[in-house]
Amino acid sequence: MNFKHKYLFLLPGLLVLLAILIFPIGFTVRLSLSSWDSFYPALDFIGIENYVRLFTDDARFWEAFGRLSLLSVTTVFLQYVIGFGLALIVWKEIAFQRFFRVLFLIPMMTTPVIMTVIWRTFFHESLGPVNDILSHFNVAPLWLSSETLSKFTVMIVEVWQWTPFMFLLLLAGLLSLPKEPFLAASIDGAGPIRTFFYVTFPLMAPISIGAIIIRLIEASKIMDTVYVLTSGGPGTATETSSFYIFIKGLREFQFGYSAALSLTYLIIMIISFTIIAKLLVKLMVRGN
Amino acid sequence: MSLIASNLSFKPGNEWHLDNVCFEMSKGQIYTILGRTLAGKTTLLKTLAGLISPDEGTLTLDDRDFGSIPVWKREVAMVYQQFINYPHLSVYENVAFPLKQRRMQSDQIKARVMKALQQVGLDGFENRKIQALSGGQQQRVALARSLVKEASVILLDEPLVNLDYKLREQLREEFRNIFSSEASKDSILIYSSTDPVEAMQLGGQILVMDEGRILQQGTSKEVYENPNCTKVAQITNDPAMNLFEGRVDNGRIILSSEIDLELPQHCKGLATGSYIFGMRAAGITLNSTGFPFSVELSEISGSETFLHIRHEMIGVVGLLDSVQNFNTGEVVRVQFDTLQLYVFDQNEQLVSSPYRGLE
Amino acid sequence: MRVLYTSLKYLAVVLWSIFVIAPFLWAVSTSFKDFQSVTNGATYIPWVDFEPNLEGWRALWKSPAQGGVDIVEPFFNSVFVTASGSLISIILGTLAAYALSRFTFKAGFIRNGDITFFFISQRIMPPVVLAIPFFIMLGKFSLLDTLAGLIIVYIVLLMPIAVWIMVDFFNKVPVEIDETALIDGCNPLQVFYKVVLPNSIPGIIVAGMFCMIFGWTDFFFSFILTFTEVQLLPVAIVALNSSITPWWSLSAAALVSVAPLVLVAFIVERYLSKGNLSGALK
Repeated sequence: MNFKHKYLFLLPGLLVLLAILIFPIGFTVRLSLSSWDSFYPALDFIGIENYVRLFTDDARFWEAFGRLSLLSVTTVFLQYVIGFGLALIVWKEIAFQRFFRVLFLIPMMTTPVIMTVIWRTFFHESLGPVNDILSHFNVAPLWLSSETLSKFTVMIVEVWQWTPFMFLLLLAGLLSLPKEPFLAASIDGAGPIRTFFYVTFPLMAPISIGAIIIRLIEASKIMDTVYVLTSGGPGTATETSSFYIFIKGLREFQFGYSAALSLTYLIIMIISFTIIAKLLVKLMVRGN
Repeated sequence: MSLIASNLSFKPGNEWHLDNVCFEMSKGQIYTILGRTLAGKTTLLKTLAGLISPDEGTLTLDDRDFGSIPVWKREVAMVYQQFINYPHLSVYENVAFPLKQRRMQSDQIKARVMKALQQVGLDGFENRKIQALSGGQQQRVALARSLVKEASVILLDEPLVNLDYKLREQLREEFRNIFSSEASKDSILIYSSTDPVEAMQLGGQILVMDEGRILQQGTSKEVYENPNCTKVAQITNDPAMNLFEGRVDNGRIILSSEIDLELPQHCKGLATGSYIFGMRAAGITLNSTGFPFSVELSEISGSETFLHIRHEMIGVVGLLDSVQNFNTGEVVRVQFDTLQLYVFDQNEQLVSSPYRGLE
Repeated sequence: MRVLYTSLKYLAVVLWSIFVIAPFLWAVSTSFKDFQSVTNGATYIPWVDFEPNLEGWRALWKSPAQGGVDIVEPFFNSVFVTASGSLISIILGTLAAYALSRFTFKAGFIRNGDITFFFISQRIMPPVVLAIPFFIMLGKFSLLDTLAGLIIVYIVLLMPIAVWIMVDFFNKVPVEIDETALIDGCNPLQVFYKVVLPNSIPGIIVAGMFCMIFGWTDFFFSFILTFTEVQLLPVAIVALNSSITPWWSLSAAALVSVAPLVLVAFIVERYLSKGNLSGALK
């Protein structure tokens, strides 16, 4: 179909989005070429100085990026495995099927920062229930103030929060699968494990890839949880890219420099997602 | 009162969906567009409806420029091969929809809708939900919706193809009755189909279409008796007309070193040279004194048997009146009924037919 | 073998359920505590481990000056911003998705797919990248610390979700229905509101739920772009986190803010089990 009316449908949304976004993006590019900070708040032009600094003299940014990669890849992997497992279980007949489906969805409906506030009391090192129970075994892990363990705590919270989203996408996918391949597999006498590897998993590959990419994109923005749980600490032990940029831009007010960080980060993200998507397609689709 | 298409062409990509289509259609008649899948039938119907704007060409209805009227003012009706209705409306509301769109008075709408529902045999179903109907009933609703408008052009795009065999036969019969009745006296009815039998049964005119072009237009009798080229001969017959190459020499038709036939009366004047010969499956029968062919496949269809047989380069399909089983590779003796022989020249154009003789 | 498989299945489900519920149970329990029962170490069961009181819940209505939290206004601010942002996003997003699913657009090298990608790709943008320019832009238009400013930002946040879900939804609805409506005398605008819209309600509800989830749970933008005049619920609650820790009112406030969206989980599950969600999510 092709009518002039088509613009009446498309343009309102497109123009509103462009109008809201053009300035921020253009301005960020310009800002990244300036030295705007709290001492000298003006849009001067210093060329690519910020970028030079970022590539040669900012180990903290790259460490934060490494940490973010570790956190997001690990948590998304765990979310995928657990989410897929749970989806497979409640996909088939099980007692209280609908109750479990609702229950497993609930965490994604909750506000991450608010639940993290609760988690902070939950993992509180002297007053929280976790260490209270562990005290019977005479251990008192430093969930929030140990450099290694704090990363682990962030992961627990992330997995709790976002496994439901993976679960939802995968269960919706499972429920939309055609019945015939499963019938054929059962006629051929394939057991549940063979059926999974030869039928379910290959059929779910496109949906899996989509779900993993969506979650990786969301996970690459991790910052709310970190802000509330550990404030990036102890030291910089749980600082992610977003959080570091936030500190530089909106705590230290180095607007120019943080703009350069933002753009570099965004471009790295776009490149990574493109590569990861291609890799996943190769890995999961060739697998069958 | 007529619909005239001239030089309609549409080429969205590298292939012509419509290639210089011309025709003239007049009111109160059924036109069947017969062609294989992807021949351009649906494109043609959508172009007539106004859903596709052709790259070139004009459409006129009663001397008015029809092609420049937007779809929603064009006063056409269309039934799709998928059962398309408005899922959120009841049967009554579905059929009333086009009339409400015209702001007709409600008592008038009611009378027209009830009449249309009665015509398609759905009286009593007014308040049903569309989803609660069977496929055949859904298609009747779609048909009622196209009738109720009393549109000047009614388009039916393979409306029966998604129904099971028995229902298809039954509905086709009903369609023919509805459309030959008073109701459609003022409409041009265009029906597309891949099935030659269906086209013949509907009567009226046939337009044979292939690769976006209209190959032949004529009454069903004309198209059946004198297909103007080999493609038409294939498209208008099920199974497709057998085609095989051979020579005419010395008053005989030489097909291979072993097979030669006598020239039948209607081919007597043929000049010496190479031709393409055509014969319907029914013209090829078993006969103990015939030529030896080996069986490639036999298909039983109802009380008949289609026999796919081959002799050297000549592969043909024969039709037997009874149910018989054959083994693959089995040698059978076959006779060609030359009284039913068609002859085409090297350019695939008809030279001689059993009904008209030599051109 | 079969018994082992079944018991493992139930074990997994029960363990995960405990993990899911644990923070909620803890929050419920904490919300009935007072200073004494919090600082004495972890306690769990009211009347057994500690003497419950309603201090935490009462604080929700008291102003901060009286030692309360006062989440009533932030609650309604959140409702207003989420609802308006979602509504505008759904309206604009559904229209755009319909155009992208049904019509062909060509401009230079740009095709439908590219425009769809432009919409959806806004989700890749980390909030922190947009935060500074938004901060400056809203400041220029005097929209910092206002509900209107937040709604504008929420449109960027939510429209990609609406477009993503609705394009998939429309792609699954046969285009012949639209064509039939055109033939029956509707112009393209009438086709949309008389035929397409009434048949798109399941898709719109799913898209609306996702917009509400992502709008209601957002923290960062309201945190950066509002200060004192306007406060949204997450910001109000997180603000408590940094002050002297009144765990009881904190827990009560958290439960109140989480409760409305938990109801959405029931609706999502209904759609999921009826198979309507798989059409809308892919």
